[in-house]
Amino acid sequence: MATKTRYQNRIELLQGTLDMLILKTLQWGEQHGYGISQAIRVSSGEVLQVETGSLYPALHRLENQGWVEAEWRKSESNQRAKYYRITKLGKEQLASDYERWGKMVATIEAIMTAK
Amino acid sequence: MRLFRFLRRKSDLTEELETHLKMAIAERVARGQSPEEARRAALHEFGNVPMIADVARSQWGWLRLEQWLQDVRYALRQLRKEPGFTLTVVITLALGIGANTAIFTLVQGILLRSLPVNDPSRLYRIGDRNDCCYYNNYQNDNGDFDIFSYDLYLHLKQAAPEFEQLAAVEAGGNGFSVRKGAEPAHPMRSEYVSGNYFATLGVGAYVGRVLSEKDDTTGAAPTLVLSYKTWQADFAADPGIVGSTLYVQTHPFVVAGVAPPGFFGDRIISNPPDFWMPLASEPVIEGANSSLKGIDQLWLYPLGRVRPGTNIQALQAKLSVALQQWLTTRPTYADHGGMALIPRQHVVLAPAGGGIQRLQQQTGTGLRMMMILSTVVLLIACANIANLLLARCTARRADVAVRIALGASRFRVIREILTESVLLSLMGGVAGLAVAYAGSYMMLTLAFPTAKNMPVQALPSTAVLAFTFVVSVLTGIVFGTVPAWLASYAQPSDALRGVNRSTADRSSLPQRILIVFQVALSMVLLAGALLMTKSLRNLEHQNFGITTTNRYVVSIDPKGVGYTVDRLPALYQQIEDRFAALPGMANVSLVRYIPLGGNMWGSCVIPQGHAAPGPKDPCFAAWDRASTRFLDSIGVPIVRGRNFSTQDTATSQQVVLVNQAFARHFFPNQDPVGKHFGVNSIQYSGAFEIAGVFADFKMSDPRGEVRPLFFRPLSQQFRGYKESDADAAEKSSMYLNFIILDFVQAPADVETLTRRTLADIDPNLPVMHFGPYDAEVAGNFNQDRLLARLTSGFGLLALILASVGLYGVMSYFVVRRTSEIGIRMALGAARSSVVAMMLRGALWQIAIGLALGIPAALMATHFMASLLYGVKPYDPLAFFGAMMMLILCAAVAGFIPSRRAASIDPMKALRAD
Repeated sequence: MATKTRYQNRIELLQGTLDMLILKTLQWGEQHGYGISQAIRVSSGEVLQVETGSLYPALHRLENQGWVEAEWRKSESNQRAKYYRITKLGKEQLASDYERWGKMVATIEAIMTAK
Repeated sequence: MRLFRFLRRKSDLTEELETHLKMAIAERVARGQSPEEARRAALHEFGNVPMIADVARSQWGWLRLEQWLQDVRYALRQLRKEPGFTLTVVITLALGIGANTAIFTLVQGILLRSLPVNDPSRLYRIGDRNDCCYYNNYQNDNGDFDIFSYDLYLHLKQAAPEFEQLAAVEAGGNGFSVRKGAEPAHPMRSEYVSGNYFATLGVGAYVGRVLSEKDDTTGAAPTLVLSYKTWQADFAADPGIVGSTLYVQTHPFVVAGVAPPGFFGDRIISNPPDFWMPLASEPVIEGANSSLKGIDQLWLYPLGRVRPGTNIQALQAKLSVALQQWLTTRPTYADHGGMALIPRQHVVLAPAGGGIQRLQQQTGTGLRMMMILSTVVLLIACANIANLLLARCTARRADVAVRIALGASRFRVIREILTESVLLSLMGGVAGLAVAYAGSYMMLTLAFPTAKNMPVQALPSTAVLAFTFVVSVLTGIVFGTVPAWLASYAQPSDALRGVNRSTADRSSLPQRILIVFQVALSMVLLAGALLMTKSLRNLEHQNFGITTTNRYVVSIDPKGVGYTVDRLPALYQQIEDRFAALPGMANVSLVRYIPLGGNMWGSCVIPQGHAAPGPKDPCFAAWDRASTRFLDSIGVPIVRGRNFSTQDTATSQQVVLVNQAFARHFFPNQDPVGKHFGVNSIQYSGAFEIAGVFADFKMSDPRGEVRPLFFRPLSQQFRGYKESDADAAEKSSMYLNFIILDFVQAPADVETLTRRTLADIDPNLPVMHFGPYDAEVAGNFNQDRLLARLTSGFGLLALILASVGLYGVMSYFVVRRTSEIGIRMALGAARSSVVAMMLRGALWQIAIGLALGIPAALMATHFMASLLYGVKPYDPLAFFGAMMMLILCAAVAGFIPSRRAASIDPMKALRAD
């Protein structure tokens, strides 16, 4: 079901990059779903807005892969929330994702700057 | 357990998403928005909560189960909405699946089952045919040797160490009078087995011990092992029975033990043995007439357990050589040209994990035919239901179209419809189990009316349950696929237009094809049913040559209660006199074997002045012993010479009566009266003088030709036999087992009267069996009758299903074409031409169905040829009858909806939709 969306000054996330961004965000410490989305938004200078509809499936996907683990705890505001933490496997995954990402950016850059 | 984890995770996810929302709202409030505004904005940003939950859950792989549960709920709701439809389908399926399950219960119980013994796969029988029960010559023209003497069994046992154990069992079985203490004797079944029988099968005792080699030695105290069921039923499960004495044919036997529950012996039969006795006890009971001592007397089936890894082919070849060696040493088999036949003699090792395959070979063809027929019935039922579903799907097209327009995938729609049909068929399967239980119970009772402790149960086993489940699911898929497929092609735009207005369009093609298919299959079933019914009629109403109306048969066992040969004449005389004095009695007679009673005895006949016949010469004639009035009592006339008379006494010339077949065979073109012949050996060929010839009647095989047969009078024992076994056999032939009562008019209380009369003569002489002679004769056709009734039942079911199917489809067409018919009539079409138009459509399908069905039926009936008697597999009358029945039913089924079409009011029709 393709739906037409209004053009927005936000960049559509490339396939696969959301997982990488979540893992990166979690490297700074454990966080709940809302926190992760806010963190990505803030650190991207309000450019990247993670859709809830993508975030939670992604989190559960990562959890199934064993790249993150989750635990229910009280948040700062005394709210019960599910906190995600990156695992050793997740860190390895992040490193390899980042490496591939770097290559991809370099390649695209080369194409874009070619005369 | 995984399901609990799933449910837990599901609530976790909901909470997680809620937390997210709360946090988002809290932050917006903190930034200064009003709570309502914050909530609206957050929700807007958040998106579709259930869908997010769905997508997230799909990551766990559980979504499919959830959707499936939804489908089931949806399907149940649909079915509840239309109880009439659901009921029709479930009943149709219950009949179809029930018929199949019932037949499968028997197939599984009889054909597919292993004996309940230890490691049945290593059991082999030497011999693969069912020649029974006593032989002393070659059995089969191709040299297949399948029944053995005790001496030959020992010879083979020694020749084949490949057998871990090789046991021998009696080919037939015995009915004995068994008495415990002072109680009256009652009849029981028994089987002689070798001492290592239980060890070979790997079966231990439930109470006491089983038979051992020690029990099976000459001079050992006679012992027996009771079956569990008999122990329960006849001895009140009393463990004290072990070690006590039972009198079998008046001989004392010590009960060694009780066999375990579920063990029924070495073969599946309707009357399994009540007890097993060692071979060594056979001479105790039979005395000088013992088969065990007859070196050439063939009466045993060897049954053994091979060592693991034995090469069966090599063992078979080795045993064949051993058999031939033995035969050359025996004059009975080697003399008179027999030597030439020996090289051809061989044995076949048959797997015996399922036991001795007699019942399997008897019922196999019939059961396999029933299996095929019931499958055809199920297919017809499937076609019917597919038609109903098709009609319903078309009615639901708009619904489906809207759902597809709203984004449901075709796959999901197909899955939903399939779920519904599988659900229906499972319901049908459950109802079918009840039908199956009733069906197999009925079949078993009809096929084996005299069964006692039969090891085949009507109750479905696990295998049967699994079978039903698989059949149900497959059925659901078969009848659900086409409608599901068609429905999924619903065009959303159609929903907006009036799809229900139509003429005879292409969309009705699948329905038409299904009708053609049903008609063709029904033709096959009906033709089969008519042939079987006709065959049964021919069998039952053929001229047997005897009269059985108003005749009753009483079975007695004087030997079992200790009568000696010298006391017999007085007993017989008393029976004749006492019964003759009963009111309304025309003739009383005594006979050793009754015609068409299933049992017979025979000898090799040697006419005086002829050379001794070789082993291949057909010298065999059945013979029987009867009282003077026997032929009168069964209404058989003398065609030459004279009948027995009171002048034929123990001391007068030995006389016999022969049948016409006997006269033709042994004295072609001669007057047999006054001629002499003897049996067994040439030295006795002058023994008997033919006094008369009686008209042919069927003695043992109701299907075959009449074979040579002679009768001897009960008064004359031939005392000239020099061999002790021949003399013993002659003595044993003096025991007559049946009384035939021929009434002018039978009194109402004939059975009590008979029992009282016999009790007056000797209170110790039990009535083993009492019944009308008609029932005895009918007992020959139990299985034929069952087959005929079942095929008729299936045929009728098919006819009803096909008619209902046609009726349903025609009614449906009428509804669909209401507006078209309205227009036609508004434009001036006559009612008669509307009826003709609708009927033409129906008749075309019938015609094509018959065109396909007749060749199919010819093929099918060709396979049943072996089951038919006196009717050709292509019997034109049966085919014509089947065709007429189909056309008639189809015409009625088609005419009713057509008339409804003609009664359409054009104005109403045009306003509809």
